[in-house]
Amino acid sequence: MKSTRLVLLVVALVAMLAVTFAPSVAQDTTLPRNETLYFNGQQWGAVVGWNPYSNSNNNALAIAQQDNARVIMFETPYLYNMLDGQVYPLLADGPYSWNDARTELTFRIKPAAHWSDGTPVTAEDVAYTWATHVTYNTPTGAGNIDYIENIVAVDEATVTIYAKLDDAGAAVNPLLVQAYVSTNYVVQKAWTQILEERAGGDAVALLADTAEDVVWSGPYHGYFWDESKVIYVRDDSYWGQDASMWGRLPVPRYLAHNIFQDNAAGTTALQAGEVDVSQQFNSNVQDLWLTQGLPISTYLPEAPYGIGASLPTAFFNLTGSSYGLDNLAVRRAIAIAVDYPTIIANAMTNQSATFDQVPRSLMNPTAGEQALYDHAAVADLQWSGNDIEGANAILDEAGIVDTDGDGWRELDGQKLSYVATCPNGWSDWQAAIEVVAAAGADIGIEITTNYPEWAVYQTVVTRSDTPLPEGYDIFMMWSDGAGPTQPWSRIRKLMSSEFIGMSSNWNGNWGGYANPEADAIIQAIPTVTDEAQLVEMYTELVRIYLTDIPSFTLMYRPQSFHTVNESVWTNFPFDGDGTNPPVPPLDLTDGWSIAGLYNLELVNP
Amino acid sequence: MKQMLGQIFRSGRFRLGFGIFAAIVLTVLIYPLVINDPPLEIVSRGTFLAPGIYVSVYDSVTASTRYTLIIDEAAARRIGSRLTADDRAAMQEWLVGTEIVEEGELNLDDTAALLELWHSSFDPAVRIPGMTNADRNYYIRLTASLDGLLATEGAIVAAPNATTGELEEQGVIEQTDYVNLSEVPNFRVLPLGTDNFGRDVLTELVSATGVSLIIGLVAGIVATTIGLILGLVSGYVGGVVDDIIVFITNLFTVIPSFVLLILISFSIGQEQRGAFTVAVVIGLTSWVWTARAVRAQVISLRNRDHVSLSKLSGHSIAYILAMDILPYIASYVVMALILQISSGILAEAGLSILGLGPRTTEVPTLGLMMNWALIYQAHIFGKWWAYFPVILVIALISFSLNLMNTGLDRVFNPTLRE
Repeated sequence: MKSTRLVLLVVALVAMLAVTFAPSVAQDTTLPRNETLYFNGQQWGAVVGWNPYSNSNNNALAIAQQDNARVIMFETPYLYNMLDGQVYPLLADGPYSWNDARTELTFRIKPAAHWSDGTPVTAEDVAYTWATHVTYNTPTGAGNIDYIENIVAVDEATVTIYAKLDDAGAAVNPLLVQAYVSTNYVVQKAWTQILEERAGGDAVALLADTAEDVVWSGPYHGYFWDESKVIYVRDDSYWGQDASMWGRLPVPRYLAHNIFQDNAAGTTALQAGEVDVSQQFNSNVQDLWLTQGLPISTYLPEAPYGIGASLPTAFFNLTGSSYGLDNLAVRRAIAIAVDYPTIIANAMTNQSATFDQVPRSLMNPTAGEQALYDHAAVADLQWSGNDIEGANAILDEAGIVDTDGDGWRELDGQKLSYVATCPNGWSDWQAAIEVVAAAGADIGIEITTNYPEWAVYQTVVTRSDTPLPEGYDIFMMWSDGAGPTQPWSRIRKLMSSEFIGMSSNWNGNWGGYANPEADAIIQAIPTVTDEAQLVEMYTELVRIYLTDIPSFTLMYRPQSFHTVNESVWTNFPFDGDGTNPPVPPLDLTDGWSIAGLYNLELVNP
Repeated sequence: MKQMLGQIFRSGRFRLGFGIFAAIVLTVLIYPLVINDPPLEIVSRGTFLAPGIYVSVYDSVTASTRYTLIIDEAAARRIGSRLTADDRAAMQEWLVGTEIVEEGELNLDDTAALLELWHSSFDPAVRIPGMTNADRNYYIRLTASLDGLLATEGAIVAAPNATTGELEEQGVIEQTDYVNLSEVPNFRVLPLGTDNFGRDVLTELVSATGVSLIIGLVAGIVATTIGLILGLVSGYVGGVVDDIIVFITNLFTVIPSFVLLILISFSIGQEQRGAFTVAVVIGLTSWVWTARAVRAQVISLRNRDHVSLSKLSGHSIAYILAMDILPYIASYVVMALILQISSGILAEAGLSILGLGPRTTEVPTLGLMMNWALIYQAHIFGKWWAYFPVILVIALISFSLNLMNTGLDRVFNPTLRE
């Protein structure tokens, strides 16, 4: 009994001490507003780790190896700029070069680049990073091993990437090889060896390591993190202040991200000026400045407010389990009858370009991609939607009419009835699917909606080795955004039949479309360098896509939502801000958009 | 019976509750007869249109008859709506900031001079210290909206020629031209605006109220039926049967019914969750208190003389329960039913706000309307018409049912009887 009391007493004392000391800890993380840039919409839940080899750190602001890699802490040799489609050197010194056979890619590391511990970044670091990815079969290693043979340090500063070769001695996919240099971080060799030793050669342990002792090369690093926030602080010895890179330090001393419960909380904080850069979907974002008069702006002053990069798309089930969808007339009628302007106006609250502004193809609305196909050649295949008359005519002509007078059309005596679906709770997609379903009633094809939970939905849709089950006749999925391999990679994932038969297909073509002609062009494009020939090939793919209609794009969606509150900071990127190369609206952390951090100014210095 | 009804309706609370409830039910029944737009039809391209009357601009311009009205303040009002005092102050701020004019040098009330100076000097490329991009966008918008603000001549309507494609003048709209609203063929009254799907909120609300009432009724009947049967059997039969039923009832009492509801709804999955299914599930999880109360009343009734007499006469249990016990607790059961209906409607709303309500496309419900208004941030952006009327209807239904319940209580409960 006595001991129990003692325990209770100790617990109470500890609790009291905790309460006494808690405010002082909190005070340490109270940041000077004039030196802090606040984000929202990226980090949900507490940061788990700082391991650049792992993709389960839940450290959204610091670690994301992607087409527009997030480079505040770890850095890639090159930075991709979605606005002009170019890559710009970061750790690398000058542009990379291919050998004549396009099998070896070479670049040099900037002499000024050094790690946070002061040691220089070397070619050996790049090579060892790749070796580690391969040895421990990390997601990066597994994703690139089919295209990259090896990465070798030729000397202290020179790196050569050897492409994997096919039987004919040509690179399997030079496009993916050159994408590697702007997608993947360079990690310090010395630290990697410490990590390996700690993991004892175990891949699982290596990837699960939280790596709080990690060495970085970027301008920021972790300062404080818990369940409520994560704060990164500037490294004032950052190598990038050298004249060979930025010539100065990024402006904000701290980058901070409070962890909000949901979008509504994030929006409220943005309204209050507690968030400077918001990466979340705010419906009717223009109300923030038009009716509420807040100092908030987006990249474009008018709709669509941002630059569309990805193409959320409705796929037809062509795996044989949806009666009638193998019939082109049915697919075409549904696709042209859908009221896309309403999807864009209502589901996206106008935060997407319309199909009148950017006619449908396989390209996103960026100028670089739009220039890659011959608009005039496919103009008569493009549709902007709401064409009920045209859709009815197509069905009538194909003999798909209502024979039994129930108001629904039949194909060979069987009623056409479909379920349109997307994951439950994905609100803008659900609103879009509702509009797709409404089109069915206008053309005599019954379309009902259904929204399974994501856990169920993803398992079903990504299973490409069996026909899709009932309830997945027309289903929505994403497509690639902007990146160094685009639009090729997006087109591949929309149309290539190579994914059919995979038991876990996270790539694309979930509807099971197969066209050998398209496959051949998709396979050939990565090795083609002649612009005119590329345009010809892409145009042909667009022609096939718009003719066969294996899927249809419902809207354009930005790579990242980018809404800024200029109560404290200003000079964020906007269309026509005069930056050269233009800084893309990617929240100042992704790819070339980090250049925006060097341009910020205080509203009231 | 007639006397009983008379007694009930003498209660002021019951009359008020019944009045509100009847008004809601009548609206639900009559509204679709007058306005027969489908409740889920998307009428607006654009979300959350504010309440108001929407008049076809095209039809107003091409109206057969135009009337001339001489209204003195028309021009001032037109200018005032596009150039507010705040706008004038902002223009001055920019002009002073760029050192085009001195502070205090400008007469802000002289609209013509202000506009002339503005149009000749405003340049969006000029950067003033402290000016944000949001400010810059505002000035650009303002400049565009000021175009032709002081014009006194009419606007020309032109249409492209069908053969040449050139614009041809169709007519002039004078500033004094008016149309009579009754002569415009196309206008739509949206008393509560539109929601995030672009649906007419009032029409949707009326339909949703009907569905929610049915959900409440189904849930209430299911819950009351289960509670009544278990309570009657348990209370009258007693013994092991009573023990088992009380055990089950206690089990359900300690599990919060809303948690149970969430779990069941989630496991059913979206595809199976029609409005009727949700109603039944709500009913299945909310019978507990009815069962307990009925059992308690039955225990106090079962040893009454008339029940014993009935038993001696050899009547079956079912007969005794139906003829000798039920009539004595009927008033309580009716009151419990009313409360169950009310809580059923609230349960549906609660479930739907969590995204576990009936599937979306088939029918609107009050809870679903709230859910979608929340998802599209209507509460943050001040689109009150998308959610406030829904809250009001839910409150009114539950208020009226509770009033009716207390009114009945006053009549049937001997301790409260006046």
